[in-house]
Amino acid sequence: MKWRRSILLLIIPAIAILLSCQHKPAVAPATPLLNAYDVEQSSNDARRLISLSYRQAQGKRIFNNNCVWCHAAETPAGPSNRSNLTPTPPLINDGQTFNSLSDEFMQNTITLGGSAMGKSAMMPAWGQTLTHDEIRAVIDYARAVAEPPYKTPARTASQYPEK
Amino acid sequence: MTAEKMGKISTRLRATFALVSVAFVVVLAVSPVRDYFQSWKRYEKDYVSYAQARPESKRLLADFHPGIDQIWLPEMRVVDRCTTCHQGIAQASLRDPSVPQPFRAHPDVPHDVKKWGCVICHRGQGPATEMSEAHETTLAWEQPLLPIKFIQASCGVCHRANLPQTPKLDRGRELLSQLNCIGCHHLQDIERPAMLGPDLSNVGNKLNRRWIYKWLKEPHTVVDASGNTVVDGYETEAEPRMPQFRLTDQEIRALSAYLTTLKARPTEPYKFDPRVVAFLQKSSDLVDQGEMRFRQMFCTTCHSLLVTRGEETKLIGGDIGPELTKVGSKVNPDWLIAWLRNPQSDLPHALMPRYGWSDEDLYKVTQYINTKLTDPDLLSNVPSLEEPTRDETQLGQRLFLEKGCASCHAIQGVGPQKDFGPDLASLGSKNVSQLEFGNSNTPRNLIAYIQAKITDPLSVNPAARMPQYRLTPTNLDAITTALLSMTGSPANSSLARLIVPRSQGEFRPAGAFGELYDRYKCAVCHRFNGDGGTLAPDLSFEGSRAQRQWMVDFMKNPQTLRPTLIFRMPQFNMTDQEAAIIADYLGMVMQSPSVKLSAVDQKQFTPQMVEMGKQLFEVKYQCNNCHTIGSSGGYVGPSLNDAGNWLNAAWIEAWLKNPQALVPGTIEPRRSFTDQEVHALTAYVLALKQKAPPQVKTRAATKTRGGAQ
Repeated sequence: MKWRRSILLLIIPAIAILLSCQHKPAVAPATPLLNAYDVEQSSNDARRLISLSYRQAQGKRIFNNNCVWCHAAETPAGPSNRSNLTPTPPLINDGQTFNSLSDEFMQNTITLGGSAMGKSAMMPAWGQTLTHDEIRAVIDYARAVAEPPYKTPARTASQYPEK
Repeated sequence: MTAEKMGKISTRLRATFALVSVAFVVVLAVSPVRDYFQSWKRYEKDYVSYAQARPESKRLLADFHPGIDQIWLPEMRVVDRCTTCHQGIAQASLRDPSVPQPFRAHPDVPHDVKKWGCVICHRGQGPATEMSEAHETTLAWEQPLLPIKFIQASCGVCHRANLPQTPKLDRGRELLSQLNCIGCHHLQDIERPAMLGPDLSNVGNKLNRRWIYKWLKEPHTVVDASGNTVVDGYETEAEPRMPQFRLTDQEIRALSAYLTTLKARPTEPYKFDPRVVAFLQKSSDLVDQGEMRFRQMFCTTCHSLLVTRGEETKLIGGDIGPELTKVGSKVNPDWLIAWLRNPQSDLPHALMPRYGWSDEDLYKVTQYINTKLTDPDLLSNVPSLEEPTRDETQLGQRLFLEKGCASCHAIQGVGPQKDFGPDLASLGSKNVSQLEFGNSNTPRNLIAYIQAKITDPLSVNPAARMPQYRLTPTNLDAITTALLSMTGSPANSSLARLIVPRSQGEFRPAGAFGELYDRYKCAVCHRFNGDGGTLAPDLSFEGSRAQRQWMVDFMKNPQTLRPTLIFRMPQFNMTDQEAAIIADYLGMVMQSPSVKLSAVDQKQFTPQMVEMGKQLFEVKYQCNNCHTIGSSGGYVGPSLNDAGNWLNAAWIEAWLKNPQALVPGTIEPRRSFTDQEVHALTAYVLALKQKAPPQVKTRAATKTRGGAQ
């Protein structure tokens, strides 16, 4: 049967074209830590790695430049200034203290200083030194490293202002 | 042919025609059907239904445009369709991590995502409309998405200078120059310094053959049994500049034989004043005095020592000069004295300052180094080596070139050979097919290749000449990031315009100050007009900050203003005249245009203002949390105990108004003081003077000095 053969000759390339279009490229194995902008060891458990996003990593940088002197147990220059201060400032990862505070409250305390928000006057106002976004990034960093871990409160619609 | 026959044929023909038509339609339909089911259309539909469920749906839907979304940057030859699926990329309200991908917004970065697109930073195939083709390696596209871990490499493609946002990239670049990679490889934007390794013309007078043998075998002095630089159970971050080469015993014997024959300049033993030596030898604690002097001079600002405190053993000190824990067992004592007196006579490009030594100090410190900084077991596993034979020396001379030693070390004025290894200036844009993997198990991608090549060069190329580096995972990732940022010279002039070059200021003072600047190597630690080191304060505006007499006193007896600082200015034993020249130059030349010293009249400060300033300082602004006054206060900022003798009034006022304008990035927060408060605080700070000025131990210029003039 010649005509059947010719039809087969047409259909086979058609199927071949269809199949070849389905070719999938090689898939690289996904590693979660490869897709973290930066990684930090948990202070409580050295084996636990906290992955930081871009903004949290920027917060970490600003923290290590401006805040580390009083809000960390060790500083780049050696001992921390915390022991000189009463009341002792909370550590950056102090979830007990920070988890109950809202982002807005923390933003205001850093921007306006401790005395403006009814906290210790030892906390200076950073509003003229750091931008709003930089302060926001530091808060994000504090949330990322908090012990016990920080849970984002359920958001309400009103928190997304219409432009 | 009969009519019946024709009819029969035509039926068969008709059937054939019908079937062929069906097949033809099916084939034609393939493309539109496939197009209809394209994944990007599904993502767009999903985005619309996701946006409708959001409270801000009106705004999201107003910004949504169906169809393929494309960003075209013709001068960069980039076509970027990523935003077809990543619809919410620029929507600030979709930045929350709870927003599912691919709709989540990009974090707020300094560049507008909608203008620059994605592939410039993230790589991948921009024109692709299939997720896997866009993100991964395909037969036609060998630049897959860059893992976020290494994303700072993309910043470095255009930003050739360091940025505050890219610590990993900056660290990688720093490591590339610290580890002397530039010795063998051509690297993008890393300059070859005047000296990589020391010039070895005179090494035969400095070291003995057994020490050279040990060093070539394992170039560390502080090591554990397996040859790793391990301190306190942890491998230190500090990678020695000299890498470990794969050399056979015969090769090491030959190289050490050759090097010991290099004695370009015979070392004349220095003749100490016999009265000084006789006097010092009588004291029983000579070595302890030497150690005290070693510490007082702050040698550890540049050199580190292994120190055991309690149970902890640590390398303490700087990394500008070599680690010195066992240097007494290394160098020839006569060479050591000659070196300390004038390092530049042995190595013209040495960073070590030329100290003004008295015979007494020089004798004490060399006694300390030769007695305490030693290890009798250092050479215990080195075989005894005979006098070098002629054959060994000749083989050593050949190996010196063949093994690449000459890339970093010059001999007898013969400059180092360049480009011994492959050019890496465009490594970051290499395709996988251009890389040699050999028979290794290394995954076939650029990142795995770079990391394998650094940590185990033989795994990808059994004939590799490159030495093996042991880097911590953090440092390895940093170096990989820096190498990935090297994508070669820009392809055209419009691309070249986008490059932000590394700007390096140049400061080359002349005259009497220029001589002292060169002698005391000020620029190794201090920065002047954008040129110099970063260990110590930037002195570009020092003349506006400090009073002249304070500078003179400080230079003669540097006392740190920051009690917790480990790295302090060494004591150079300057003469009064030298200190005066430096203070005059800094006071006259290194001034800030925004501080007018004559603008503030100190007579206007009344005791009432001082009292008000004290109140503001201690109560309202609580400055003492960071600054020490008396013996109490914090240690974030400098101690202000003697601020009245240290700072200029105009500087204090300008500083209080805006610290970051004078020293960018300084920690002190900028406050909103009123003018009255600024005056009061300035009055208070200027009133802070130590009752008795510190007794400065001056060393008269006429006294016997060890330093060659």
